[in-house]
Amino acid sequence: MTGSRCLGIVLLVAAGVLDPGSTALSQATKIPGLVQEGDYAPGNLGMQMQPAPRNDDAGPVYAVGAWPTYTPPLAEGEGRELVQSFCGICHSTTYITMQPPLPSATWEVVVKKMIGTFGAPIPEPSAQAIIAYLKSHYTPETRRE
Amino acid sequence: MIGRLSRRSLLAWLGSGAAGLVFSGQARAQVAPHAATPLPSFTGPGANPYWNGVNPFVTYPQKLPLLRMTDRGVQLETPRPYFLTPFTPNAAFYVRYHLDLIPNAVDLSTWRLSLEGNFERPLQLGFEELVKNFTAVSVAAVNQCSGNSRSRFQPRVPGAQWGNGAMGNALWTGVRLRELLASARIKSGTVQLQFQGLDRGPGPEGKGADAVMKSLDLTDPALDDALVAYLMNDEPLPMLNGFPVRLVVPGKFGVYWIKHLTWIRALTKEDTNYWMATAYRIPDTPKGNTTPAEAASGTVKTVPIGHVRMPVRSFIIGPDGSSKLPSGLPVRVQGIAFSGEGSVRKVEFSEDDGRRWVEATLGADHGPYSFRIWEHTWRPSRAGKHVIAVRATDGKGNVQPDAPVWNPGGYLWNRVERQALIVGAAS
Repeated sequence: MTGSRCLGIVLLVAAGVLDPGSTALSQATKIPGLVQEGDYAPGNLGMQMQPAPRNDDAGPVYAVGAWPTYTPPLAEGEGRELVQSFCGICHSTTYITMQPPLPSATWEVVVKKMIGTFGAPIPEPSAQAIIAYLKSHYTPETRRE
Repeated sequence: MIGRLSRRSLLAWLGSGAAGLVFSGQARAQVAPHAATPLPSFTGPGANPYWNGVNPFVTYPQKLPLLRMTDRGVQLETPRPYFLTPFTPNAAFYVRYHLDLIPNAVDLSTWRLSLEGNFERPLQLGFEELVKNFTAVSVAAVNQCSGNSRSRFQPRVPGAQWGNGAMGNALWTGVRLRELLASARIKSGTVQLQFQGLDRGPGPEGKGADAVMKSLDLTDPALDDALVAYLMNDEPLPMLNGFPVRLVVPGKFGVYWIKHLTWIRALTKEDTNYWMATAYRIPDTPKGNTTPAEAASGTVKTVPIGHVRMPVRSFIIGPDGSSKLPSGLPVRVQGIAFSGEGSVRKVEFSEDDGRRWVEATLGADHGPYSFRIWEHTWRPSRAGKHVIAVRATDGKGNVQPDAPVWNPGGYLWNRVERQALIVGAAS
């Protein structure tokens, strides 16, 4: 039973609307086996909106809406903007936060793979800063969130 | 919100640092604040102990809320309850892209499926021709990501940190690949077929970040079962599952099931593009197993993951451990099993953490490449914590191992699955 509902019942009792001997409150305690009821907590209204129907024409083009992005924030720290701009050329930084904490050596290999294998246009000083950032926030020793 | 909290719990909440998360916005938004104990936002360096990955529910066009692995490119995991049925609903079917330029709109008046390269009669087929001029064939088949369950690996490896939900089963309907090849008259000297879809990436050409291409040997028997599918569970494919057509290769991992399939190329030389020569390779060892030390030495011979079929797996879908079970009641344990090697022959259930096994009841057989439902009525002998387990045996006699696999790509996981359950007192 939540505080506000208890308060409401207490007020009703005080106002003489409810006889203390037969309130919902005391009835609940008499129901065999009932331990808790009426427990509510605020939900997150608006987190998942229902999609509106599409108004498609009868032509040959089959379209869907934009792909929504749900990118968690990166840890604050030096180099974060470089990570966002360079890594973000090809993929969202969710590719970083989604990983388990990885050893420093692994992050180094990953960044070098992006540059060497996939051709990410990251100048060497920026690559070093990106590696330093990932080591500072996303290893087993350093990861916090 | 604060009005509903007692003074003591408010102080505890502030002290925990949770308040900081609330005010920083997005980190907190990954979980519903009313969840009594929300999942952590990441797991590791230990193995992910949860059935699914720990990612939040999100919505995408044509999809029910799924679990966001990544958002650009899009990778979405199917939540556990959708595996209670043998066919995974299209709106709940997992999504896995490598690159971020995913089509939002496709014009069927200009789209063509091209058969090009070493053919006598290269073809450009419109959608309508594909549907009208070729025989429609259906097959029930599991599409499973090569890295499904990667988050179980110890030590952890980089890549999409899937729980068990990077898989799905559908009834695929379309045209036999063999019929298309016959129509285009494949020339001698062809060694491989290369497949490519509409999805692309912004990277420089020829390095793997501009396009994903996969190839199969022309002699691979899997091609005999392959379809170019335009229906999925009797509906058009959702865009995120490959509209207008995708390649279906029953028994093989999902990476070969090219979405938005647009080019089929007959190659006279083995494909050496990044997605064949470098990515998606497994150690050429029993079960694709190796060790971090061996992998680091660079001496492990590897082969494309297409050289193997999906190893046998089975899953406990319900009960999922979210509710305490009253003792004295029978528990209907249910799940799915499948194998890329052909039919599931047997599913076994264990009530004692894998020490003793009894045979479970199999559901309807939808074909050798489909999920097969299994169930077992379990009568817990006592209140307390129980660990139940399931393992399957496929038509070739392969039994699911109770040992982990390890390889640097995070592929081929098929260890015996377990579920911890609490049985409560009934009096």
